[in-house]
Amino acid sequence: MNRQQEFVLRTIEERDVRFVRLWFTDVVGSLKSVALAPAEVEGAFEEGLGFDGSAIEGLARIFESDMLAQPDPSTFQILPWRGNGKTEQTSRMFCDVLTPDGEPSAADPRNVLKRTLAKAADMGFTCYTHPEIEFYLLKSDRPGPDGIPVPVDQAGYFDHVPGGVAQDFRRTAVTMLEDVGISVEFSHHEGGPGQNEIDLRYADALQTADNIMTFRTVIREVAIQQGTYATFMPKPFSDHPGSGMHTHFSLFEGDSNAFHEPGAEYQLSKTARQFMAGILKHAPEFTAVTNQFVNSYKRLWGGGEAPSYVSWGHNNRSALMRVPLYKPGKGQAARLEYRGIDSAANPYLAYAVLLGAGLKGIEEGYELPPAAVEDISALTSAERRLMGHDPLPSSLHDAVRQMEESELMPEILGEQVFENFLRNKRSEWQEYRLQVTPYEINRYLGVL
Amino acid sequence: MSSLTRTLISRGFSDLENCERFLGFSELADLDQTQLLDALAIADNPDMALQSLVRLLSRAPQTRSLLTCVDPDTGRTLSNAHLFRLLGASESLADFLMRHPEHLEVVDPALMGRPAAADPEVLRASLLRSVGAEPTAERAVAQMSKSQGRIALRTMYRRHLCELALRDLAAPSPQAAMPQAGAELADLAAAALEAALAVARNEVGAALGAEKVAAVRLSVVGMGKCGARELNYISDVDVMYVVALDEQAAGAQGIDESELVRVGNALAGALSRTIYASEREPGLWEVDANLRPEGKDGPLVRTLESYLAYYHRWAQSWEFQALLKARTIAGDRALGADFENAVEPLIWNSSERDGFVESVQAMRRRVTASIRDADAGRQIKLGKGGLRDVEFSVQLLQLVHGKTDPSVRLRATTAAIEALTHAGYIGRTDAALLLNHYTYLRVLEHRIQLVHMRRTHTMPTAPEQLRALARSLEGPLSMKRPSADSLEANWSKVKRSVSSLHEQIFYRPILATAANLSAEDAALTTDAARARLAALGYRDTAGAVRHIEALTAGVSRRAALQRQLLPVLLGWLANGVDPDAGLLAFRRVSDALGTSHWYLGMLRDHQAAAERLCHLLSSSRLVSDLLEVSPEATAWLGNSKELVPQSFESQWSEIQSTLSRHGGDAGAIRLIRLLRQREILRIGIADSCGLLRQDAVSRALSDVDRAAVLGALLVAENEIYAGTPPLTRVLVVAMGRQGGQEIGYGSDADVLFVHRPVDGLAQDRMGEATQQAKAIVQRLTTLLTAPLKPAIQAERVLTVDAGLRPEGRNGPLVRSLEAYREYYSRWSSAWEAQALLRALPMAGSDVLARDFISMVNPIRYPQSVPEINLREIKRIKARMESERLPRGADPARHVKLGRGGLSDVEWLVQLLQLQHAHAHPELRTTRTIAALHAATALGLVDGDDSETLEAAWRLAGKIRNANVMWTGKNSDLLPSARHDLEAVARWCGYEPGNAAAFEEHYLGLTRRARAVFERLFYG
Repeated sequence: MNRQQEFVLRTIEERDVRFVRLWFTDVVGSLKSVALAPAEVEGAFEEGLGFDGSAIEGLARIFESDMLAQPDPSTFQILPWRGNGKTEQTSRMFCDVLTPDGEPSAADPRNVLKRTLAKAADMGFTCYTHPEIEFYLLKSDRPGPDGIPVPVDQAGYFDHVPGGVAQDFRRTAVTMLEDVGISVEFSHHEGGPGQNEIDLRYADALQTADNIMTFRTVIREVAIQQGTYATFMPKPFSDHPGSGMHTHFSLFEGDSNAFHEPGAEYQLSKTARQFMAGILKHAPEFTAVTNQFVNSYKRLWGGGEAPSYVSWGHNNRSALMRVPLYKPGKGQAARLEYRGIDSAANPYLAYAVLLGAGLKGIEEGYELPPAAVEDISALTSAERRLMGHDPLPSSLHDAVRQMEESELMPEILGEQVFENFLRNKRSEWQEYRLQVTPYEINRYLGVL
Repeated sequence: MSSLTRTLISRGFSDLENCERFLGFSELADLDQTQLLDALAIADNPDMALQSLVRLLSRAPQTRSLLTCVDPDTGRTLSNAHLFRLLGASESLADFLMRHPEHLEVVDPALMGRPAAADPEVLRASLLRSVGAEPTAERAVAQMSKSQGRIALRTMYRRHLCELALRDLAAPSPQAAMPQAGAELADLAAAALEAALAVARNEVGAALGAEKVAAVRLSVVGMGKCGARELNYISDVDVMYVVALDEQAAGAQGIDESELVRVGNALAGALSRTIYASEREPGLWEVDANLRPEGKDGPLVRTLESYLAYYHRWAQSWEFQALLKARTIAGDRALGADFENAVEPLIWNSSERDGFVESVQAMRRRVTASIRDADAGRQIKLGKGGLRDVEFSVQLLQLVHGKTDPSVRLRATTAAIEALTHAGYIGRTDAALLLNHYTYLRVLEHRIQLVHMRRTHTMPTAPEQLRALARSLEGPLSMKRPSADSLEANWSKVKRSVSSLHEQIFYRPILATAANLSAEDAALTTDAARARLAALGYRDTAGAVRHIEALTAGVSRRAALQRQLLPVLLGWLANGVDPDAGLLAFRRVSDALGTSHWYLGMLRDHQAAAERLCHLLSSSRLVSDLLEVSPEATAWLGNSKELVPQSFESQWSEIQSTLSRHGGDAGAIRLIRLLRQREILRIGIADSCGLLRQDAVSRALSDVDRAAVLGALLVAENEIYAGTPPLTRVLVVAMGRQGGQEIGYGSDADVLFVHRPVDGLAQDRMGEATQQAKAIVQRLTTLLTAPLKPAIQAERVLTVDAGLRPEGRNGPLVRSLEAYREYYSRWSSAWEAQALLRALPMAGSDVLARDFISMVNPIRYPQSVPEINLREIKRIKARMESERLPRGADPARHVKLGRGGLSDVEWLVQLLQLQHAHAHPELRTTRTIAALHAATALGLVDGDDSETLEAAWRLAGKIRNANVMWTGKNSDLLPSARHDLEAVARWCGYEPGNAAAFEEHYLGLTRRARAVFERLFYG
């Protein structure tokens, strides 16, 4: 029993915690949870909690397999939306999934990210991430009479809505997030009606991924408490922007920012350029992970600010990767923003593939193509081809095919997650293909 | 021979010619030569002493007055023994005195104090004063900086080093004095670091502001030998730096953590330069901070919180082992003490951490691994039986027992040995030996390093150097001049003893618990014994103690021998995957062989054989089971000739002689089956000893099966013909992997049965002939598989499977050659032609075999294959993939039918053979890899694809074999349980602890092979 574990047990005692939820995540990023009575926590620390490990393989599970969930005491947190004030609290801890003999399970997404971070550490880097999470606030989880979801307001980008539902919502949500130890950088109204963005403060990549899982839960809970509904669906409206999860990445070598080099172009160090080159080169291979649903591709190819071509730029809002502006003398703030991920990605896997691709770029010393200066979506397709702006996959099917061809993805994800993930996505595409959509009914029924 | 030469020889000189020349130099002109030579004889290396003396006198004539002293008791004039000993031990220190004659006073007999240990505080104060720093100040700042400070500090260090060496050389017993010398060297190094820190504070203060620097607390934590206070004369000094902010200090305002770390870095950098940067007075030694968190890439200095965060979250087991030696040696004492207190529990709880047993085993492997690659055996530190062995053994015991017993928590090796002995974890005799060897090796190391102050751990080779070294080990009071040979002999004795002690001290006390050895041995409590066994990887420690008891109890010769050997055997067994099973199997084998003299002889005299035995017993159920029933096979282990698989011919002649003795009756089949079992065991042992390649294993197993089938066929024919003239002759044709001679342990034999009635048999007796053939074939199958009385223990019978015959299970078991011809010309389907690709006659009439092959060749190597047939084959394969796989099996892990497994590669190769073997005879082989290579050479498969396919096919085959070897059962699945996976990984040639990497490798390789297969097969 180490000190952190003791701390957890003591807190459970002192704060009158009645339930401890053990959280883990399947390949597509759905949160899984087992509730424990406080008396059983000690045993779970020591021996882990047995469960059917196929639960993490996603929808297309085939075989049962015994696994152990071992709670990570450093992630212990009281959940403020449960329990009644000061007593009868509920808490949660994230778990590592282990094989029965105590080895980290190769099928556990959290372990995939841990492995990638360990590799980064071997190269001398610590990885920090900073996500900007967009989501829609709707009146309910049911669509309106016309089949379209109903947003809570009609406001726009950074609009201040007096007495607005969204503003109340954000205030409560931000307070609750701070209560569970997640620092919020800022929050504002986004472009679409009912669309909001909340930016989390930067933290190391594993903690950020844990935070994103918590964040989604908190946002949903607050919405329900306020009689609304929050969705992280990548593209709920045909006519409004989708919900992305732009993420800023930075690597530190010891205490110094490895991306920063005063005097270089955009103050970008060689490491930063190679990291970015790695991500850009492998982006088509990992898009199935960062944009994992059929609906994700409606966002990617739905116009607006969504980036659909491999490109980078300095403050170019149409580029897939952006080098943000930061104040002179703030070298520690140097970072790179990847704009492709959407809000429904599995953060563990998405960050693992992005970091893994970036590290690959550093390892192999990739050359960065020139920056894009114009609006890429305004170029003709011949121009784009000439300038090397390849398109990202156009559909989940396309993305799965490109991922299957990849040698880097199995290396990053491990053969087992790679396989489970692809199996899952193939079956999703299969199901989608069987659907006759409202679009088809509207378009063809009357005329054919 | 002049009398001078004789005198020189008697005084121990080596290079007589040069010495005579030196003696004629003007510097020595007016000295009494006899007295001088007597004085030089005091030196361990008189040649070197003479040379240095000449140089010293020419540079510093005042030395002359130091050559003699007056004995205060007797008033007689004596030689200054101290000076001569120093000159004869260290050229480097003699050089120092030449550079700095002002320090010659250290060898002035009038000024020299009694040779007593230097107090660490005195050393510290002296070195601080040398750079103009106030020893009593809390954060002392030197007055000097840069060059001036470096020279002053280094000079003063070397002066103290001379004093220290003088004391060390004067010690009556160098070995007894070694711990003290090591401690003083560490104290002196610490004092130098303290003074260097004061210089650094001055330099950095000048650059960044003195007030700011004064607010930074910095503590230097010694690691390794310096931390343990057992330093060498010259070696890297391992350190870590802890920083903290003094909140009270005036300069503390505005220093945040990153600024704190920046100042700390600057201080650490300046400190290291003060010690080692090049300068007129040479650098002392490298200050090495690579043991810090994150190694070379980590920040040079950290706050205490940062260290703890790292150790709690990231640190690996070896880092805790390194912390075992951590001690504050310079800088802020309070901060250092906080550090020590905070990390102490981490060290001692480290044996509870995950993977402790693995890391202990890895550590043991490092010890043994370094043995193998150590160059030429001249290494004192790393070689077999070197210092590293002693240190590791001691640390290991400390980690295992220190958790519950604080009394063994000590840093220095010598002190730890004493504590471990006192607490009863090492036997007294062993401990005394260990201590003696350790100090012996350390003194060797010290004396070698002292000469040139070079960081070397290699034994010199020049005879005069060896002689000097030999002498130096004797101490100043001895009059002996031991020869170079005697030194070599002693050293090898020590090395041998250390490497056996290394096993001894770990296991012997366990035995003592179980077997009541002599009172000299440490008696571990049962719990301690079990803790130790657990640390080595034994799981059922209570069971292990029981087995050890049984093996060592009694007064028999065997028990006595096993008491001797078990300490080593237990270690070897622990290197296997399943030490518990290994120990149990060892006990069984030992019980079965008991008193046979060759067995005991083998254990005693054939180390390699005993090691092989332990490896087998703890890694293979198959071999353990077989050895238990035929323990006499253990004898092969000592004899590599016995581990060459017998050729088919020699097996066949053995069977023939059996048959002639038994007249071919049913009794013979027992011997044939026993022979098969014996040969499989031989192949298994040879395989696991790494004497056979994969292909050779398969080939040998095929030969064994072939001999058995042939023997059974003869017995069956004898029985059925029953003395009457035969009506027909039978041929057994191997099919499938048997035909390709690619089988593994426990594979079935896929076969076809063919017969041909004898020439001139009347037409009306044809039916009879067919009946006879059928009877023979059925008898053959029965002979090979039916249980015998008494049963053959642990037998894995050879199942003969004729399922690949025309019409499959519905077709007749045996057909005549003509019937086959007719069948194939009329009905044959695509897959039957494909199956024939691997047809290889196995047993029976040679003529019939030739005719059969010429009959099937046009079928299996057709001029062209109709598209429809190709499609049919592909369809069958596709259906097989979905249907044949056992229910619930994961296709990714099924090595035979799964993706990228054996059947994918084989089907692809066979498809190519069907299409192209007619045109390209080089494709006509029953062997998969040979055919694949041929196809690659023809350009039908490209090189990369071919490599992927071959690698996947070979690995899948290896896994099948490994499964049988490890569990004794057939399985076509890559195991999921970690323990099994680990065992299989090791059989496939992976280093211990790489199960996960092995699994990834297999899954990745077969995924790629599958992609190649899909592209080339389905198109």
